[in-house]
Amino acid sequence: MVNLIRNEWMKIMHRPGTYVMAGLLILAVIGSTVITLFINSSGGTEDAAWQQQLQAENEQIKMTIETGENDFYVPSAEGALAINEYRLDNDIAPNDRDSMWTYLENISFLIAIVGLFAIITASGIVAGEFSWGTIKLLMIRPIARWKILLSKLLTVASFGIVFIGILIALSMLLGVIFFDGGSAVHLTYANGAVEEGNIVPYLLKIYLYNSIDVILLTMMAFMISAVFRNSSLAIGISLFLYFVGGSATAFIAAYYDWAKYSLFANTNLALYEMGMPVVEGMTMTFSVIMILIYLSLFIVLAFTVFTKRDIAA
Amino acid sequence: MTQQSIVQLRNVTKTIGGKTIINRVSFDVYGGEVFGFLGPNGAGKTTTIRMIVGLMKLTDGDVLIEGKSIKSDFEGAVKQVGAIVENPEMYKFLSGYKNLLHYARMYKGISREKIDEVVKLVGLENRINDKVKTYSLGMRQRLGIAQSLLHDPKVLILDEPTNGLDPAGIREIRDYIRRLARERGMAVIVSSHLLSEMEMMCDRIGIIQKGKLIDVQSMHDFVSTKGELFNLLVENPQEARTKVLEHNPSWTVEVLEQSLVINMTKEDIPALVRFCVASNIDVYGISPATKTLEDRFLEVTAEEGVASNG
Ligand SMILES: Nc1ncnc2c1ncn2[C@@H]1O[C@H](COP(=O)(O)OP(=O)(O)O)[C@@H](O)[C@H]1O
Ligand SMILES: [Mg+2]
Repeated sequence: MVNLIRNEWMKIMHRPGTYVMAGLLILAVIGSTVITLFINSSGGTEDAAWQQQLQAENEQIKMTIETGENDFYVPSAEGALAINEYRLDNDIAPNDRDSMWTYLENISFLIAIVGLFAIITASGIVAGEFSWGTIKLLMIRPIARWKILLSKLLTVASFGIVFIGILIALSMLLGVIFFDGGSAVHLTYANGAVEEGNIVPYLLKIYLYNSIDVILLTMMAFMISAVFRNSSLAIGISLFLYFVGGSATAFIAAYYDWAKYSLFANTNLALYEMGMPVVEGMTMTFSVIMILIYLSLFIVLAFTVFTKRDIAA
Repeated sequence: MTQQSIVQLRNVTKTIGGKTIINRVSFDVYGGEVFGFLGPNGAGKTTTIRMIVGLMKLTDGDVLIEGKSIKSDFEGAVKQVGAIVENPEMYKFLSGYKNLLHYARMYKGISREKIDEVVKLVGLENRINDKVKTYSLGMRQRLGIAQSLLHDPKVLILDEPTNGLDPAGIREIRDYIRRLARERGMAVIVSSHLLSEMEMMCDRIGIIQKGKLIDVQSMHDFVSTKGELFNLLVENPQEARTKVLEHNPSWTVEVLEQSLVINMTKEDIPALVRFCVASNIDVYGISPATKTLEDRFLEVTAEEGVASNG
């Protein structure tokens, strides 16, 4: 298996597209950082006054809770209020936008770009062998078909991990150089009490949450690539869903309950922490189960079809 | 034959979408021989080869390689097979060497020395580190042969290996193939739709048409059929033909330009000459004629009642 994965990486490392993707990711990180720095420096100075700001914010939250306007979700408003008060009482300043932690949290949106590249890679990794005609020389080796497919799946996974690694390593480097240390304390509100914790696990959770739809769509692209042996089809369907799936689901969810069974209604786990499920009554557990069902479906489809179908290319 | 049968096809059948593409094909290939798999385009050569190497499932029948079934012991069977199916498609963006390394990693215990050895065998030492996209078709074909020999298989299968090659390239491939069969005792299966190439390459030949194996014979028997052919150069062939058939109605006598082509034995010649003299047929010459492979092929396929368009 190790040798098979080495083979896949050898093929990835010898294609110019890989370097274009890595270069684009690096450019995106640097670009976002430059824009962030530019916006931060052009905004007004508001350093000293974080206490006043929090107090003003609290006033507003209180009013919102009392008037109950906009269907504002009360528990999360209470949480925000409690955390702000905890900050004021214990003199813990929130991380402002010059802080490295805020920067690292915000830059997590670039996982979408990693997702794009992972989908492209997953779409080509099986279908490419068919379009190149090399599948015939690949599949006449004394290695079961499922092992070859698994090696390709693990390669896609490691590709995603490497690219996320580039994203995190580069943004940490830029963060340390260009941003303030800020406070590594992260406050959470649970069961009526505020708790102090480290910010790193919180950031990891943000990155994980942001990766879920990427993982699912990459798996879907891989499945289409293995089942239909056509990379354009895999890229097309997966990217289309990647870009419109979320909003389409949100739209449908406004009218129909069954939208909760769609893939995209379940990929944003952060919604549960904010107390805003896509469809009323959905829970984190439900979504995790749905995610696992979709993942297994894609894997089972990919492996059964790929190992059974004749290679007539 | 004293050699061992290494490849055995047993009633191999393939049906796709209700259409029988390969119909109960059976043959054996022995160690040390080159078996020619001959048939016009679309006859089913590639499909049969795909089934032998496990790319396609058999609808019925079985393929045994060294006694191991491709159906029930795919890995055991295919371990002994090196093949090129249709064109030798390689990773164009990798060097020739990296292509070989790629396939070498898919077997246990293939050393770098082994890779160097096959590179040398096919004479690609100078270009092996260049990207495959810079290779000529002949070089790709040689690289294809190199990858098929990495694991010292007992069976070599080449699907139309001379397709698109120039005469020098064809000759080169032919020499490799003969050497591999002779020196290593491999069982080699070579498919082709070109008869002329087969003649120089193969020990035995199997003719496939419309998915059916219609004849298997040794190359020697195939070319020179029982009884020989003689050309009889005469003044008036049509008239002569009628008379000759009166002399011996069991002969087949055909008119070819100014001569008669007669299917008879050497011992028949003196009597025929006496007959010609007695019947006032002016004979200008008698010479032996061999049937070309082409003639035989057309003959065999015509016997099946289908016109060949190979
Ligand atoms: N995947 C397929 N589906 C349907 N028919 C096929 C398929 N592959 C090959 N055929 C048909 O099977 C026949 C044999 O094809 P092939 O084995 O490629 O012939 P050859 O290699 O002798 O030229 C052809 O008539 C072809 O149209
Ligand atoms: Mg063919």
